[in-house]
Amino acid sequence: MIAPPSPAPALFDLLDAQMRIDGRTLLHPLSLTLPEGRVVGLIGHNGSGKSTLLKLLARQHAATGGEIRFEGRPLSEWGTRAFARHVAYLPQSSPATGSMTGRELVALGRYPWHGALGRFTTVDRQKVEEAITLTDTGAFADRLVDTLSGGERQRVWIAMLVAQDAGCLLLDEPISALDIAHQIETLSLIRRLCRERGTGVIVVLHDVNMAARFCDDIIALHGGRLIARGAPQEIVTPDTLARIYGIPMDVIRGDGGGYVAVPRI
Amino acid sequence: MADAARAQPRTPAPFRVGPALLVLGLGVLGLAGTVANLAMLLPAGGWWAAMVRPDASVPVQLLAAYSFAPRLVVSLLAGAALGLAGAILQQVLRNPIASPTTLGIESGANLALSSALIWMPGLLDFGREWVTLTGGLLAIAVVLLLSRRSGFAPLVVILAGMVAGLYCASLAALLALFESHYLAGLFLWGAGSLSLQGWEEPLFLAPRLAIAALAAALLLRPLALLGMEDAQTRSLGLSVGMVRLAALLVAVALTAFVVASVGCIGFIGLAAPALARIAGARRIGAWLLASAATGAALLWATDQMVQVAAGVYAQMIPTGAVTALFGAPLLLWIIPRLRLPPAAAGSLAVRLGQSAGRPGRRLLLLGALLLLALTVSSLLGPDPLGSNLGGWSLALPGDPSAVWTLRLPRAVAALAGGTLLAVAGCVLQRLTRNPMASPEVMGVSAGAAGGLTVAIFLIAETSRLEQTLAASLGAFLALIVLLLVARVSKANPERIILAGIAVGALLDALVSVLMASGDPRAILLFNWMTGSTYGLDTSAAGASLLAALALLALLPLVRRWLGLLPLGEDTARALGMPLGAGRLLLLMLAAVATALATLLVGPLSFVGLVAPHAARLLGLRRPLSELYGAALIGALILVTADFLGRTVAFPWQMPAGLVASMIGAPAFLWLLSRKQVLA
Repeated sequence: MIAPPSPAPALFDLLDAQMRIDGRTLLHPLSLTLPEGRVVGLIGHNGSGKSTLLKLLARQHAATGGEIRFEGRPLSEWGTRAFARHVAYLPQSSPATGSMTGRELVALGRYPWHGALGRFTTVDRQKVEEAITLTDTGAFADRLVDTLSGGERQRVWIAMLVAQDAGCLLLDEPISALDIAHQIETLSLIRRLCRERGTGVIVVLHDVNMAARFCDDIIALHGGRLIARGAPQEIVTPDTLARIYGIPMDVIRGDGGGYVAVPRI
Repeated sequence: MADAARAQPRTPAPFRVGPALLVLGLGVLGLAGTVANLAMLLPAGGWWAAMVRPDASVPVQLLAAYSFAPRLVVSLLAGAALGLAGAILQQVLRNPIASPTTLGIESGANLALSSALIWMPGLLDFGREWVTLTGGLLAIAVVLLLSRRSGFAPLVVILAGMVAGLYCASLAALLALFESHYLAGLFLWGAGSLSLQGWEEPLFLAPRLAIAALAAALLLRPLALLGMEDAQTRSLGLSVGMVRLAALLVAVALTAFVVASVGCIGFIGLAAPALARIAGARRIGAWLLASAATGAALLWATDQMVQVAAGVYAQMIPTGAVTALFGAPLLLWIIPRLRLPPAAAGSLAVRLGQSAGRPGRRLLLLGALLLLALTVSSLLGPDPLGSNLGGWSLALPGDPSAVWTLRLPRAVAALAGGTLLAVAGCVLQRLTRNPMASPEVMGVSAGAAGGLTVAIFLIAETSRLEQTLAASLGAFLALIVLLLVARVSKANPERIILAGIAVGALLDALVSVLMASGDPRAILLFNWMTGSTYGLDTSAAGASLLAALALLALLPLVRRWLGLLPLGEDTARALGMPLGAGRLLLLMLAAVATALATLLVGPLSFVGLVAPHAARLLGLRRPLSELYGAALIGALILVTADFLGRTVAFPWQMPAGLVASMIGAPAFLWLLSRKQVLA
């Protein structure tokens, strides 16, 4: 049930992109177009290849076959900093930051613009402040990042990605370590960025209900292959979910039009 | 990919030989060596008869009976004891990298023996094993006390143990410098020489080791329970504290007996239990037994190989040094295969209350202090020329004695050395994301020392430039080995530190073997290893200062990278940092800085480890202010150390590097004990 091509212009084009390591196929040849300006969720079971796909898009790993294009140009043709000015990536577990304040961390997002030797200009400073305002992290800007709570820390990291001023965010399970309130808060922030600034977001999520709630478009992987793609209401059906996760699922429709998937026990 | 990694089954160990086969393999090697050696010694055969009932009129038969045979027995006994001690320590501390060497027990025992020999020879009448036992117990007590707050997190315990061990070794070196006439033989002892002239040592070792082994056997069941969490163990009705204490005592006793008998034999205690475990010995009883057997076979094989290789010079080459030559590569091979408990990275997190509002002001203050130290150091000192020999005098510029022209180059050299080491330490800590990284801990200094040693022994006359190149090359090679290990083991800080220990031990062993060869150049090397600035002339000092200043001027160019790297590879790459080139550049920077500094102040000073932490303690957090703050602090420590070394024991001269390690090691231990946070 591959959905009709999205109307928005393409951000990433994949042509038989695949990933094999030591004879094991993590991602089978995959052809796919990812649109601009939308929140795209990647879901699937553990080991389904969703993080692998995201890392290929982020150029953390090179595909072992096929081709990936970003804005029409193959990934390998992009310079490191030029690419970082367009695509920002948040790894799965945000690393310890040592002794660094929130603002200093956010300012690191400006590296692709000023490089190793360039001056930290007023434009850079302005972008940092903008990112802090937008993500509402002003209260943590002068505190050491390692002393913040999980949710606060995640917001500061997202602020760093915002300061990077890239048109595309790649997020690897940004909410896996957060409680439910912070999950909602983080995903709302991501969605707001997409709506207000036209930022394209590709986000790996574990929780299918969160994906259904916040994504415009869901891509489901199973065993390294694309198994389903479509709008949330197309994906969150008992049949499709059973194919994705391999267990029977029920979908409960609420009165307000919302729906929740639960495993059938 | 993380998903994929989770789903991926653990890569199976490349082979599983079984402990019996492992011991057998090593034993065959030992046997082959023994046969080869006996064939060299007694070509006519009749080996058994010669060893048991030697014909007193045939010298080679006496040699076989009173030197070769006891040496063989001692190698088996000592190897078994160390293997068992290592296994017990690893079990008690639930720490796969604990061993008599890495916990400082050997060095502590050795230091106790050296000091007793010099100051209280009477003590030795009670039995040298009591002296070494006391030293070993003191060492491990200090280590455990310092790591208590981390709940004995493996990395913290090992760091405390290593630094305590190095500290004891430096103290022993200092003693050797002052009392060289007493300690001529002690140096060989420290390196673990097995050469014997009779059956006293085997007869000394055997009964003592038997008692300790019996105690270990009695502790077997409680020890099995110690593998679990304390709370669980206690709920099974075991007095955890008592068992732990008793087992530690047994392990220290085993080590102390060996040190009292034949000196420090490194690495057996670390390698044997690890090998036994990798070979598949799983249950505690089988594992302890396999560790002892592996240790015995390993030392036996090593010792026989040494004798085969060295032929008639075998008496001179300390086997303990050679075990490190074999053991260190072995350890490097083991490290990626070790199963470590989940990283206690949190336990070493550096906590800072508040950051400096004005880093500039603190840097200025540090600079002023450094200037003061430099002035005092070059102008003030005991009078070497005047009538009041030994009294203090002030020698101003223009003073006819011109003493200050002798003092200033040394102070400047110390300043340059401290600066370079501190910068190298900062860069390495940020590069490896490891707060305990430093040129000294990671074996980079040892690499520089190794490179220089090889150059001195291969090239007849080395110019300063050649020395610098050789040292840089050595340091760079050591760093490359480390990074390869880091790559294989996914930059896990414990494994990197371990690899550093291995590389350092390897090069130390090389130096020990060369020094023990009795070559006259070895004395030169020894003086330099302790880090003396004695004899540095104005041009050398000036060149070093220029190099240090050039390095400081280069730092702003890499400050952004140093800010990004602590966030991890993925983030740095995502932000568009050229990872490969950037890392290589920083590595070369650290290697060259370490090499230059090592030429000036020797490989042992700990400044590269302590200075960055001190800078952070002062609230200098951002890359550039941390780097410059550390540089100033490093320079300050070494200028002070040089001054103290020249004046405290005048007319004796203590090397600046050694004095700095006397200051630096306790400072580091203090930092470690304060900074650890319960994970």
